[in-house]
Amino acid sequence: MREIASFEFELTRNITIGQYLPTGSLIHRMDPRIKLLAFTILVIAMAICDTYVGNIIALAFACYLFYMSRIPISYGLSGVKPAVPFILILAVLQLLFYSEIASGGTVFVDYGFILITSDSVRLVIVSALRFIEIIFLSSVLTLSTSTTQITHGIESLLRPLKHVKFPVHEFALIITIAIRFVPTFAMEMEKMMKAQASRGAEFGTGAWWRIIQRTKDVFPIIIPLFNVAMARAEDLVLAMESRCYTPGSERSIYTKYKAQNMDYMALLFCVLFTVLLLAFPFPY
Amino acid sequence: MSDSTILEVKDLQHIYMEKTPLEHQALSGVSLSVEEGESIAIIGNTGSGKSTLIQHFNGLMRPQRGEVTVEGQYLSDPKLDVKALRRKVGLVFQNPEDQIFEKLIGDDIAYGPLKMGLPLKEVRDRVKWAMELVGLSFEELKDRVTYALSGGQKRKVALAGVLALKPKILVLDEPTAGLDPRSRQELLDQIVRLNEKENMTVIFVSHNMEEVAYLAKRIYVLADGRNLIDGTPGDIFGNSEVLSKHHIGAPQTVEILAQLKARGYPVNLKAYEIETAAKEMVSVLQSFRR
Ligand SMILES: Nc1ncnc2c1ncn2[C@@H]1O[C@H](COP(=O)(O)OP(=O)(O)O)[C@@H](O)[C@H]1O
Ligand SMILES: [Mg+2]
Repeated sequence: MREIASFEFELTRNITIGQYLPTGSLIHRMDPRIKLLAFTILVIAMAICDTYVGNIIALAFACYLFYMSRIPISYGLSGVKPAVPFILILAVLQLLFYSEIASGGTVFVDYGFILITSDSVRLVIVSALRFIEIIFLSSVLTLSTSTTQITHGIESLLRPLKHVKFPVHEFALIITIAIRFVPTFAMEMEKMMKAQASRGAEFGTGAWWRIIQRTKDVFPIIIPLFNVAMARAEDLVLAMESRCYTPGSERSIYTKYKAQNMDYMALLFCVLFTVLLLAFPFPY
Repeated sequence: MSDSTILEVKDLQHIYMEKTPLEHQALSGVSLSVEEGESIAIIGNTGSGKSTLIQHFNGLMRPQRGEVTVEGQYLSDPKLDVKALRRKVGLVFQNPEDQIFEKLIGDDIAYGPLKMGLPLKEVRDRVKWAMELVGLSFEELKDRVTYALSGGQKRKVALAGVLALKPKILVLDEPTAGLDPRSRQELLDQIVRLNEKENMTVIFVSHNMEEVAYLAKRIYVLADGRNLIDGTPGDIFGNSEVLSKHHIGAPQTVEILAQLKARGYPVNLKAYEIETAAKEMVSVLQSFRR
């Protein structure tokens, strides 16, 4: 029998999305609009950069952001952990089947349909690094920015789209609710797993090839969770309506954000960083 | 530890999200000991660690520091048979009606026994037994749909779902919270019956002091993850200093007696039960006659 940690059911422990960790660091105090903009620029840079050196620099920078925001890097790592299987599967697929796209460089293996070249190896490693960088970056963003700030940030950044009849406010509201409910559902799910385990349920213990059995095992959690989600949604609607929430009407906000020089400098730095990452001819 | 001790907790500590910036010490040294067949109430303010404590009783949480033993078995033992433990200690969560997931009442109650791998005949017998214990007619209700039930009935179905495991110890987290007065009273009477007729050891968490006075033979008071005092309802409710210091209410009977005492009448504060409290009040009234 396997060793069971004392937090066998502590799901909330592993969910970092929607969690806000106030440490009062410089990054926490940034203007959310600028922070979102800088985040977007960096994500694009990381998604495009395809050199080893460039990605290592980007990863180092992402790690440094944890240090700057005074958030333990273990938070970033626990975000990476659930993604590891995907990263691995993706790596194998890319290694085996992406040779047409990345056929350049030295040929390592050429066996039947399998063609592994130095370019395809690079594609694999760089993709894995990108994955980790972007998870780290999103962790820093969500852990250092409260949901209210994220919503207001998105809303004011997207405001120009109002002219083309894009429902900016509704869009921002949907995003907030979605993010806000992740930890709530994790808690509900934790409670449900415990309640069903108390009457003999077991999760993820059957052999993996008994897929039907293992799928059936989750019904006792999924079905009540749907009910709870419906009830929560209804509560939310009532709570909003009872405070006179009217879709489409103009709303003012409590905190006015005003970007400081610091914020612009940070943004400028991110732009320069991106230009460097993409334009510098790294040898590898 | 005497022979009849069925559950014992020694200096139990629990820290949520340990080693993260959000870590929170929910239990910081709780000890208690429960005898077979007892009926125990755990009271304390919200956040005092009651729910965390009782989740240790059936192995949902393992002791981080300290010890929990059930019938002499150490729950920190990694080789512990958790499934057997969860059959022995039936835990009913707060708002247990949320956990109902089958379409038919009978099927939902049968979930636990089926998971135990019991033969169908035995499962059926257990469902019947459990339903009747909570006052639901087996013949009439087993094939009814679960979502058409009232709140009180749903709660009874959920309770029956745990009882169908035939636990020796029944642990309930705020069992009557949010029920109407009538369902509340019915549920309380059923719990008394389980304790007295079926000889189940009952441990329950409650904020309702009338309920505690009605059900419990002994009370543990928790405050900030520690146990403050324990004793019979008479001892606890008679101790108005501790109760008021920690903002813990008392049953109305005790409040009335305390008021009388404060006005100088010689009443016994430990007479918390309705009949005994009434006698005390009658004796005060009779003293006017003379
Ligand atoms: N899953 C959890 N993660 C972090 N903290 C928790 C969790 N569950 C409870 N707590 C905290 O532990 C303390 C005790 O909680 P709980 O045992 O639920 O108290 P009670 O049932 O007496 O109200 C509370 O301060 C609560 O906020
Ligand atoms: Mg509780």
